[in-house]
Amino acid sequence: MDTVIQAFGLVFAPDVLIAIFASAVYGLLVGSLPGLSATMATALLVPVTFYLSPIAAVATIITASAMAIFSGDIPGCLLRIPGTPASAAYTDEAYAMTRKGEAETALGICLWFSALGGIAGTLSLMLIAPLLAEMALSFSTYENFWLAMLGLMCSTLVARSSPIKAIAAMLLGLLITCIGIDNPGGVPRFTLGSTDLLGGIEVIPALVGVFALAEVMRSLTERDPPKLENRRLGSILKGQWALTKKYPKQQARGNLIGIIIGVLPGAGADMAAWVSYAMAKRFSKTPEKFGTGHPEGLIEAGASNNASLASGWVPALLFGIPGDTITAIAIGVLYMKGLNPGPTLFTSQASSMYALYIIFIIGNIIMIPLGIIMIRLASKVVGAPRSAVMPVIMIFCAVGAFATAGNNLFAVYCVAIFGLIGFVMEKNGYPVAAMVLGIVMGTMVEQSFVTSLIKSDGSILPFFSRPVSSVLAAMTFGALLWPVFVWATRKLMAQRPATA
Amino acid sequence: MLLSDRVTGGAIATLGAAAFFYGSKLPPVPGQQVGPSAFPMVVGAGLMLCGVMIVLGIGRRFEEVAEADVASHSAPEMLEPLPAWRNWLALLPPALLLFYALASEKLGFLPTAGIMVLVASLAFGARPKLAVPLALIAPFVINLIFLKLLRVPLPGGLLPFPW
Repeated sequence: MDTVIQAFGLVFAPDVLIAIFASAVYGLLVGSLPGLSATMATALLVPVTFYLSPIAAVATIITASAMAIFSGDIPGCLLRIPGTPASAAYTDEAYAMTRKGEAETALGICLWFSALGGIAGTLSLMLIAPLLAEMALSFSTYENFWLAMLGLMCSTLVARSSPIKAIAAMLLGLLITCIGIDNPGGVPRFTLGSTDLLGGIEVIPALVGVFALAEVMRSLTERDPPKLENRRLGSILKGQWALTKKYPKQQARGNLIGIIIGVLPGAGADMAAWVSYAMAKRFSKTPEKFGTGHPEGLIEAGASNNASLASGWVPALLFGIPGDTITAIAIGVLYMKGLNPGPTLFTSQASSMYALYIIFIIGNIIMIPLGIIMIRLASKVVGAPRSAVMPVIMIFCAVGAFATAGNNLFAVYCVAIFGLIGFVMEKNGYPVAAMVLGIVMGTMVEQSFVTSLIKSDGSILPFFSRPVSSVLAAMTFGALLWPVFVWATRKLMAQRPATA
Repeated sequence: MLLSDRVTGGAIATLGAAAFFYGSKLPPVPGQQVGPSAFPMVVGAGLMLCGVMIVLGIGRRFEEVAEADVASHSAPEMLEPLPAWRNWLALLPPALLLFYALASEKLGFLPTAGIMVLVASLAFGARPKLAVPLALIAPFVINLIFLKLLRVPLPGGLLPFPW
């Protein structure tokens, strides 16, 4: 009980409350701008968190990402342009409702079920994480290695691109972490004689480059989004309670799928939304109404993506394995703030963990009033000219990376280079998220790999003979072979009509 | 910036080979079988394998499915191709960042950022009526945020922040 009271004390400190409020407003604004994703919003915040207290820093990441995932639905509803990839799955549906003159209902669904989903996800985090922590305490380097590999493989599975390109992107990320002197032998690797490279590539400039600068670059090659017409919106929350009572099953299923996908390392909010939307259609009594502005799929997918956001923190906090790109950034912040992820976090820093839960709940509650204000202001914000927003973001990329790297200009070069890498990769179908997960987890993968090999005298047998690690290994290989299975079934399906 | 799979796959295979070769040359840790060379060699071999498969077009089918999915979910007018020179415009932001890295110490943050905002904003098609005031005001605001709220001094150069 003492720790809970302590946690409340941590959260209700003035700096934390200001951080929550400010990052909520920031997240809502950035998420609602078409083309600026929730990941970008979070990546740009990292340099700011550098100068905050640990709890305030984590609070900004949690609140900003939750708000941005919700407000990404706003341009989706009104313009048919998803503000974040997580809302892409149901953009059509929401826009169809807007065309039917039900924009306020669509936006209300997104807001109401996002907040409820976020709270459900938080409850799952509170429940699952301590249970898994007990189990994780008995894990050795073999299990940690397979867990990390499983996370990396999952990130390639969900990439919605060629699995080979995804694996190549992931390996590229791992190779990038080899740069520098921080390795088992302490020898400089891939430094090409540069002293700046001795310290390795910092995660933050790489993230800012790949997620923020590359998006600025991409928007230069795309046309302006269409103008938003000014429409008067009715009451936003009216009728939401009736919908909650009418579709309890859809909401519960959405929450559950979101939580499960969130807990899986590597799969995040956008995956949760796609799966849940498909699920809603599959089990609906009226599947023919989908796509014509029917609330069912919207409810299930909206409930799902926000639920996955909180449960994505489970692998992040326990193993330092990101649930998605946002928690990948969060892990960087946790390390930076001395809250190193691991099962012992739940015993040694229990009050911080409770504080994190409280912040999640607060964030999802204040989402409702702030979200309503945001929706009312949407016609002003969504129409903000790209030519004013993007240059400012570009300056933030430069200065933010510069400031976190201890005023070292090398970080600015890193941002520029990673922006270029991210842009070229994205254009050619190489998923950037897989590379980022590789960069975040590379050092840990190498450490657990090499330490395990040293322990076993170079034999790979213990990687498979320990009970837990054999299960994890089987799952990893399953994830590796899954695309082959999909390809084979597709081939069979295609052949059947021809032979019959 | 759209390259063929042969080019990107070839580049990845070459990179993998280089990593493998370079990794194999790293000095071992005395008395241990596994050292700093193991991981780059494994990753390099993986990259080589992936690169070759990409060149051969394996897995291309998955991309086509995903692309068709995206196309069916977005508005048709957003998919029309833009003139090719717009693709080269994408190189502007990293170029401006290089300019920042080279010039900010000498020129100072305010003039450097002002030039960057002006150029980028014009490239996005802003009228001077918007771009010029933005280039004058935005650097000040950003400097204020970093200096006063986060206490990060930005380079002063020719035109230091006035207070």
